[in-house]
Amino acid sequence: MSRMKKIAAGTVAVLSVAALGGCAGGDDPNTIDYWLWDANQLPGYRQCAADFNAANPDLTVKVTQLGWDDYWGKLTNGMVAENAPDVFTNHLSKYPDYLRFEQLVPLDDTEVDFDRYADGLADLWVGQDGQRYGVPKDWDTIALFYNRDMLSDAGISEDEMAELTWNAEDGGTLEDVIAHLTIDSAGVRGDEEGFDKNDVEVYGMGLANSGSGMGQAEWSWFTGTTGWTHTNENPWGDHYNYDDERFQSAIAWWAGLIDKGYVPRLETTVGASMPDNFGAGKAAINSHGSWMIGQYASYDGIDLGIAPTPIGPEGERASMFNGLADSIWVGTDNLEGSKKWVEYLGSPACQDVIGDQGVVFPAILSSAERAVAAYEERGLDVSAFTEHVTDGTTFLFPITANAAQIDGIMKPAMDSILTGQADVGSLTDANTQVNRLFEDAGEDAADD
Amino acid sequence: MTTTTTIVTQGRRIRRRVTWGAVFGWICLGIAIAISILPFYWVLRTSLSMNSALAANSSSLLPVEFNLGAFARVFGLQSTEEALAQGGSGAEINFWQYLLNSTIFATLTTAGAVFFSSMAAYAFARLRWKHRDLVFGLFLATVLVPPIFTALPNFLLIKNLGLLGTMFGMILPYIFMTPFAIFFMRQFFLNMSREVEEAAMIDGASQWRIFMQVVLPNAAAPLATLALLTFMGQWNEYFWPLLVSDESTRVLTVGLGTFKSQSPQGAPDWSGLMAATLVSAVPVLILFAVFGKRIVNSIGFSGLK
Repeated sequence: MSRMKKIAAGTVAVLSVAALGGCAGGDDPNTIDYWLWDANQLPGYRQCAADFNAANPDLTVKVTQLGWDDYWGKLTNGMVAENAPDVFTNHLSKYPDYLRFEQLVPLDDTEVDFDRYADGLADLWVGQDGQRYGVPKDWDTIALFYNRDMLSDAGISEDEMAELTWNAEDGGTLEDVIAHLTIDSAGVRGDEEGFDKNDVEVYGMGLANSGSGMGQAEWSWFTGTTGWTHTNENPWGDHYNYDDERFQSAIAWWAGLIDKGYVPRLETTVGASMPDNFGAGKAAINSHGSWMIGQYASYDGIDLGIAPTPIGPEGERASMFNGLADSIWVGTDNLEGSKKWVEYLGSPACQDVIGDQGVVFPAILSSAERAVAAYEERGLDVSAFTEHVTDGTTFLFPITANAAQIDGIMKPAMDSILTGQADVGSLTDANTQVNRLFEDAGEDAADD
Repeated sequence: MTTTTTIVTQGRRIRRRVTWGAVFGWICLGIAIAISILPFYWVLRTSLSMNSALAANSSSLLPVEFNLGAFARVFGLQSTEEALAQGGSGAEINFWQYLLNSTIFATLTTAGAVFFSSMAAYAFARLRWKHRDLVFGLFLATVLVPPIFTALPNFLLIKNLGLLGTMFGMILPYIFMTPFAIFFMRQFFLNMSREVEEAAMIDGASQWRIFMQVVLPNAAAPLATLALLTFMGQWNEYFWPLLVSDESTRVLTVGLGTFKSQSPQGAPDWSGLMAATLVSAVPVLILFAVFGKRIVNSIGFSGLK
């Protein structure tokens, strides 16, 4: 019997130690938990946290970084479990859901000067109730990353790259360039006689994925030049326009590039990384966002060039303008401290620190200039990204309710077009499904 | 002595006769071994490479720009700036903490599951009670329930118990039993000879004492097998710890996510990821090296019965 007791006691002891050990991470209200996903920005925000602590000795900021894939799961999980961070980096595609579940603190009564930021960035974070839920921290636009050596081999000049044109009928000079840069295994270029589209060695343009319903870096930079917009109004539109002829013909052109062999097949992108393929010399041009500059610059043996996105049928370029912001979680155990930290994050003092790191463009344009200078020091001309802002050729990231459901409808719809299983006309059906979400939502609201 | 030599020479002669077949067999075996080892080699090769140079030399059979930076990242010996300069993720990984958590998690769940499962298995195999086989059938049927089905109810239960983020909350769903373990041990107990137990019973031992002092010691080999299998399974468990753990209780499998892409559509830190994978596989490899023979023995042992 004593043996049994010993075992039982032992088990209990072990379990309690385990339980206690797990609880050890106690919450100190004077510690502000702050989360972000981009490791590249970690040194900058560490610096901000240290400076903040120097100015507010009673408050310490604990910066936690989690990769994008785990970040949102852990954050939502933390909100449910009531241990989410006090302040976190928020994304436009996610925040409507957090608003819906009332997880964010309105920031109107903070001392943040919301007029200080690049045009439109602060407006993106105004909820349907008219209150502000995010303090802008940085922005991104789209440009074309290209392989300089491949371009010079193909006899395409940098000037040509800077003045590319595009239209949905023949693809403009953009398609000419893409076709010429595509090379099959026999060395025949995409626009030459005898090109074998089933045995391509280097693709003219890389493919990340079908872009789902947003197409931020995938297709919005050319669909946006046609005058087409995702929604009837932005932010908080309640009608999507995927049935528009301009959108559908632009997507048809894009899908056609796969058929011509200039762009890799969608199937080959699953589990692969578009930047890595570029680094491996498998693609000559990649359209991607400014948050990827560091990644593209990191590949050994690639002479990187960055060109602006092409000029469209309406005579202008276009780029989606996406902005991240810092939000406060409703469950914070130190609202005042969190507000102070958010104010500091949104101040020129912190944004200058971030700008000097040269990893993202801060939301305050004078701080963004510091980022441009920091990139220049590393030999990177990032004007292709900043021109969108200075020339006013940006359009805001579309914010609507039901983002997750829309993604659930549009991803398979776009995938089946790129794989050739469906015609672009099928987008009209998808659009009807998407818009039905808003009708239903309206009815639900009326029922309430 | 003479006899033995003859046999050996004869053996040699026989081998020579089938040389071509043997050569073919060895070639096949060699290819099979190469195919199964290649992925491990590739992990090693990638972990010893410079991440920024990997893409340009993706088909290189040898490490690209050989360096140990990836391992330094795994053990947290590299600053964020250095890591980024090498094309690494720059993310922080609290390796030793995760390793400790993994060890605690896998050890406690294994110890608990093996102990409690063998108790249950003994009850199913030896004790006589009403509807025993029906209950066992029901029990076994739960093998058919995919674990993902129980994830959400378990999560809510653990949340309501206020145990999210604790090691206790993480081990609770595993500590008592797994249907497979009960089945495995029950089959073994059924095949054990009753005579020893009956002898113990005549000597006046209680069921508990019979179980602890007669049955369990005789079942050491299958227990070891079960423990090893459970431990490996728990070591590799990902989804549940991802749901429940927080920074202080994060286990290695979840921690490896640090090396995945840090920003949307980015590329993973391949060399860091491979180095971490390699390092996290080491404890299981050691277990195999130490207890591998035991598994083989136990199979032989149960075969004899």
